[in-house]
Amino acid sequence: MADSGASQPKPSSSVKLVLLGEAAVGKSSLVMRFVNNDFQENKEPTIGAAFLTQKCNLPTRTIKFEIWDTAGQERFASLAPMYYRNAQAALVVYDITKPSSLTKAQHWVAELQRQASPGIVIALVGNKYDLASPSGGDNAEDADAAPAAEGENPEEEDSADARRVPTKTAKAYADEESLLFFETSAKTGMNVAEVFTAIANAIPETSLKGPRGVGGQTNLNRQEDARVNLTGGRAEGPKEGCAC
Amino acid sequence: MFNLTNLVQKAQQLIEPTLSIAGPTSSERDRRPSKATLFRHQFRLPESQSPLQEITAELTLSPHHTTRGTPGDVTSPEKERGQGNHYVGKLHLSEQYLCFSTQGSSFLNSASLSSSSSFTGQTHGAGPAGNGFTLPLCAIRRVERLHSQSYMFALAITTWNGLADSKSKNAVPSGQKLTVQLAGSRIQCERFCDGLKKGLREGVREVENLRAVVMQCYSEYLLSEDGDDKSHGDGGKKTREHPDTGLGMVFKYPGNARKLRDATKIRLWREYLRENGRSATLIRQPTFHKLIRVGLPNRLRGEIWELTSGAFFLRLQNPKLYTETLAKYSGRESLAIDEIEKDLNRSLPEYPGFQSEEGIGRLRRVLTAYSWTNADVGYCQAMNIVVAALLMYVRPWLTLILSNTSRYQSETQAFFLLSILCDRLLPGYYSTTMYGTLLDQRVFESLVEKTMPILWDHLVKYDVQLSVVSLPWFLSLYINSMPLIFAFRVLDVFFLEGPKVLFQIGLAILRINGEELLDATDDGTFISVLKSYFARLDESAHPKSENPKLRAVTRFQELMVVAFKEFAGITQNTISEQRAKHKDLVLANIESFAKRTSIRNLGPESKRLSVNDLSFLYDRFFATVYAREQRALIMQQEADRKAKAGKAKATEIVTGFAGSSVEQGRVGLGPSDTQMDYDGFREFLAGIAKWAVTDSPSPPPESNGTQSPHSYFGGSTRTRPPMSQWGSGPEPADHDFMKRLFRRWDTDMTDALTLQNVVTGFAQVKGTKDIMSNISYFFELYDDDGDGRVDREGILRISEALLFLSRRGLGDTASPSPSLTDLHAGSPERGNRDEQFLSSVSAFIRRCFEYADPDHPSNQGNRDVDEVKDDLDNFAIGADDEDDLIDFGSEPNTPVANSPSQSKHHTKTPLSPVTSTTNPLTPTQSNSSDKDRHLKAKEANLALDPNKPLHITLPTFRMVILADEILEQFFEIGFSASFKLADAPLPSSASSSSNLTTFSNAGKQVAANAAVGMAGVVGGAGAGVVPPGKGLRGMLDNIVSDGMRVAAEVRRRMDEAQKEMDREAKSGQGRERDEDDEEEERGEVGAKDADLLEGAETADVDTRSGSTPDLLGAPQEGTEVKTTRNRSASDASRRVLEFER
Ligand SMILES: Nc1nc2c(ncn2[C@@H]2O[C@H](COP(=O)(O)OP(=O)(O)O)[C@@H](O)[C@H]2O)c(=O)[nH]1
Ligand SMILES: [Mg+2]
Repeated sequence: MADSGASQPKPSSSVKLVLLGEAAVGKSSLVMRFVNNDFQENKEPTIGAAFLTQKCNLPTRTIKFEIWDTAGQERFASLAPMYYRNAQAALVVYDITKPSSLTKAQHWVAELQRQASPGIVIALVGNKYDLASPSGGDNAEDADAAPAAEGENPEEEDSADARRVPTKTAKAYADEESLLFFETSAKTGMNVAEVFTAIANAIPETSLKGPRGVGGQTNLNRQEDARVNLTGGRAEGPKEGCAC
Repeated sequence: MFNLTNLVQKAQQLIEPTLSIAGPTSSERDRRPSKATLFRHQFRLPESQSPLQEITAELTLSPHHTTRGTPGDVTSPEKERGQGNHYVGKLHLSEQYLCFSTQGSSFLNSASLSSSSSFTGQTHGAGPAGNGFTLPLCAIRRVERLHSQSYMFALAITTWNGLADSKSKNAVPSGQKLTVQLAGSRIQCERFCDGLKKGLREGVREVENLRAVVMQCYSEYLLSEDGDDKSHGDGGKKTREHPDTGLGMVFKYPGNARKLRDATKIRLWREYLRENGRSATLIRQPTFHKLIRVGLPNRLRGEIWELTSGAFFLRLQNPKLYTETLAKYSGRESLAIDEIEKDLNRSLPEYPGFQSEEGIGRLRRVLTAYSWTNADVGYCQAMNIVVAALLMYVRPWLTLILSNTSRYQSETQAFFLLSILCDRLLPGYYSTTMYGTLLDQRVFESLVEKTMPILWDHLVKYDVQLSVVSLPWFLSLYINSMPLIFAFRVLDVFFLEGPKVLFQIGLAILRINGEELLDATDDGTFISVLKSYFARLDESAHPKSENPKLRAVTRFQELMVVAFKEFAGITQNTISEQRAKHKDLVLANIESFAKRTSIRNLGPESKRLSVNDLSFLYDRFFATVYAREQRALIMQQEADRKAKAGKAKATEIVTGFAGSSVEQGRVGLGPSDTQMDYDGFREFLAGIAKWAVTDSPSPPPESNGTQSPHSYFGGSTRTRPPMSQWGSGPEPADHDFMKRLFRRWDTDMTDALTLQNVVTGFAQVKGTKDIMSNISYFFELYDDDGDGRVDREGILRISEALLFLSRRGLGDTASPSPSLTDLHAGSPERGNRDEQFLSSVSAFIRRCFEYADPDHPSNQGNRDVDEVKDDLDNFAIGADDEDDLIDFGSEPNTPVANSPSQSKHHTKTPLSPVTSTTNPLTPTQSNSSDKDRHLKAKEANLALDPNKPLHITLPTFRMVILADEILEQFFEIGFSASFKLADAPLPSSASSSSNLTTFSNAGKQVAANAAVGMAGVVGGAGAGVVPPGKGLRGMLDNIVSDGMRVAAEVRRRMDEAQKEMDREAKSGQGRERDEDDEEEERGEVGAKDADLLEGAETADVDTRSGSTPDLLGAPQEGTEVKTTRNRSASDASRRVLEFER
């Protein structure tokens, strides 16, 4: 990664990213936070999927995210293949207060692994972290540095908080499937930029489209080249600044 | 000769409906829409209409000044021929409509009875393009046959134009007149006229209804407003209120009315309507199409949409459906309602009308009502936006004069427009799988590929997926993409010309932006190019042009021109063809996605089954459900056909338009929460387990229980081989065991199984290799109240079930165990094993009774052991023959002899310890005199005495099972192996079906009505039982049925004993009393019978006397039809058929 882009000082490339997950887990809110740094009720009617873009500046390059935020209603799931078909990255979101949403997320992960481009970078994101017990300051750290979640945290379940999906469970699953993993809050903004930065870093150079007009060939070869071995350690790799 | 062709035609009309529902299972040819469907689409008629007659004709519209002539004023056709407009086309007659179109169309049934597209001309049921009319027969006031040359057959039609004006007695309605010359043989013409006459007579009843609906139209207001109509008439007219023409009336219509030249448009329309009729009586001439292309004026928009889309005719047919639906479901909750609620504030929120409670309320009610009337679709995001847009223009009168005054009534227009949209114009767009949306995206892509290959190559090269960009265009009819004023202009044309308009506009958008799009290499750029284009639609298309005229052309006008000129070649036919071409692939994709999703979501229980098994169950489940649905539909059609008195159907509007034109029977098409009822479960099992196939196939199938299939295929033999309720698959058995299994699996107590239920059920049955849990499972099936006990009845039922399950042999199912093969080496032994199973079962019964606990252990009788023994002897003797048969082969019941029973010498002592006297219902037991009198009976009864309750517990049951090797084996593997899923392929042809992994394959299996697959399964199973050529099978069958007979005999005796006991319990006094009772009873029944018969007779008489006068009276009263006055005897003379109110 270090010696990449030697010919071009700071290449810019676009990355197609798709958000998937059960309705109301906060997909649109996450995008809104990422793109506008804002949190508010979604007023835009979404037909199929909403399209947004946001740039992410890494030290070595600029990533332009083309974000497809898929519609919430269950029946729109049939349309999902249209959106993830040629995506390079996916954010699979669940709601930490709703265990069924993790099941759904696991389904999407399986679907992506089976149907999407082989090199797709998948991040599993447990949203609405702000609803978890405020007492667990260490929890926050756990979520932040994803792999650190070793503690049993049994009190997590019985304290008054709304968390229903233990960090450990989701983390274990993410590790098993080699996914990036974060717990976020679109409401407070916690970890939101980090998710996108981590994804930007995880996109293999070879799968990147060049700037406009250059990418033709690269693009066609993208699927073959795009294989990257994502490990748990990779996820918490060097945090590069993201201009968002 | 004539009669014959007529007959053939009739027959074909009757056969036809099934073709349209043939669905994905039938061949390509049959899949094309039926002629009736095309006819309805062409003229936008309700589902209740069918093409009865058609004839080539010339329509003559009188010049303007005569249009409002008095009805009596009949100009001779010769004089008229020179003036006015003439159109040659086809005149069609349906049950309630007279339609004319200049566009080539024919819906006559050709001899081939196929429903191909060729004969329908270019329109392919596109919509009411072309010139002509769609007249409800009730809007026709008078039809006269005109004097003409002998070879001509001309009709003068006077309509109820301006119906609303004719309320006052004196006012002369501004009837509008048109002349139609029929071109055809005399016989054809006569036939057409006869049909017309009949329809007109029926239509008279609807006139008031029509008036009510028409009164709500803006056109009535518009035309009465200009006063010149009958300024000298009565004074009441002036009070006419301005009809409510949508939210726009209150909250402003989008756009600048001045800029839109709304006033000018209104003036033009007033002129057009005055000359060509309004609402129901409107006639389409070239100006009409032009007026629509330039954009409808705000206030008239709703009405014209309603007319051109056909929603008007739906409303006419069922004006109260909307109100009634809301009333019926008021207060009820549903998923759809929740989803609607979430979106109400996200539907065109920038429009002031939807910032008000009034607007939100209307939106909520229309969406909710539709979700109830079409529960399969319910609510889909994007409908909110479409309805919000419609509501700006659509709303009839606030103060309704004739219809009921419910305030809900006001959204009826929008409701029917939505219905037309979802059910006809955008088929499958909003369904639970949205297959229509995906299909049309595929069609759109292929059209782009065809018409703009360079752009297409570019998209492919840069991997830009067009459909993600164009999908919202189609799904929300451009409402969410273009500025509203332009989206509405697209809608204006869309409602008239149909779905092809969406494609034409889409293609034009790409064409116009082609240059810039060729520079775009990613989704982002692609989208932003189009976004900025949409934002500048009102700007000049040629801003730099010298020519001021060209400069004045807006980008939107340019778009319309490109869409309808350059892409004029995109017809409804093109779309239909492309849809047919891509349909299978799109559906297969959806289905494989749905299948993956569904299997992954089956929950942890399902992990106990292999992926192959799950896949197999999935396929099999939906194959069964859909095959059944399809059959039910066909049978329903047949029933309808028989009941086709032609009158009932008009009321069925909801089912009507959701009906035959919509294909059913695929996962990709339908709602995903499919359920299987008990009969479906039986059929499902019959394809999986050979014991679930009936021994005695119908007709008169005893095993069919209450289900009587006779009514289904009563008269169907006429056109094709009779259709069984079970299709061509094997007829399933109906056994208590299957019912129990069904109930057990139906954990949600819905009387139906979901796929989840079935998978969980199988996970329990097949997912465990543990014999103990299998035994418990079986026991629990029979422990009805869950108290850990199974009573005498239950024991008998269990043994029946064991016999039932084994009656086709268990040999092959048990064979996988090597130990078993060792024990009974060689296949010739199989027969023996089956026989042994029988004896095991008989031993099972004995042991169960032997080890059973009495229900009241404290009173356990140590009373008369000898006596009991005697009883038992008697029983045993009585049952001896059967026992011999059962005990054929080895002696499996030796262990019983060693059992710690009180019985000293007899091995057949199933009921030994139970002689309780505690039952209060049997006082006679302690009464020795009674005992003497009925000794004989009691000897038998005691053994089976149902009043001496006993039960076995799970440990006992387990012990009894484990005591018998064969039963043990059965519970260890036999039972679960008797269900053949994917991982245990059946011997012969069935293995092919077990390899199915995608549903599309299974879908094709359904396609053949599951014939091959299911027949294969069964054939294989049957073949596996006994090697062909061996006579064993027949022998075995005998034994099996003998075994069943034993069980039946046991049951019979129990019943008898029960009866005996009842009788005794009833009275301490004895048999004289019994006889009295019986006598009395018999007498009573007789009397009742007589009563009943009498009642029936009077009822009969009543109905007859009630109905007869009605029938006879119909033509005389109620309608003021002056029927067919023949003014002259000659044929060429003038016939008048007048309808006056
Ligand atoms: N407390 C909390 N609520 C959130 C968060 N993210 C989203 N929500 C709320 O969850 C609901 C659904 O959010 P939305 O973004 O529309 O979910 P989507 O259907 O996945 O796009 C909204 O009411 C949001 O306000 C979060 O991080 N914390
Ligand atoms: Mg959303």
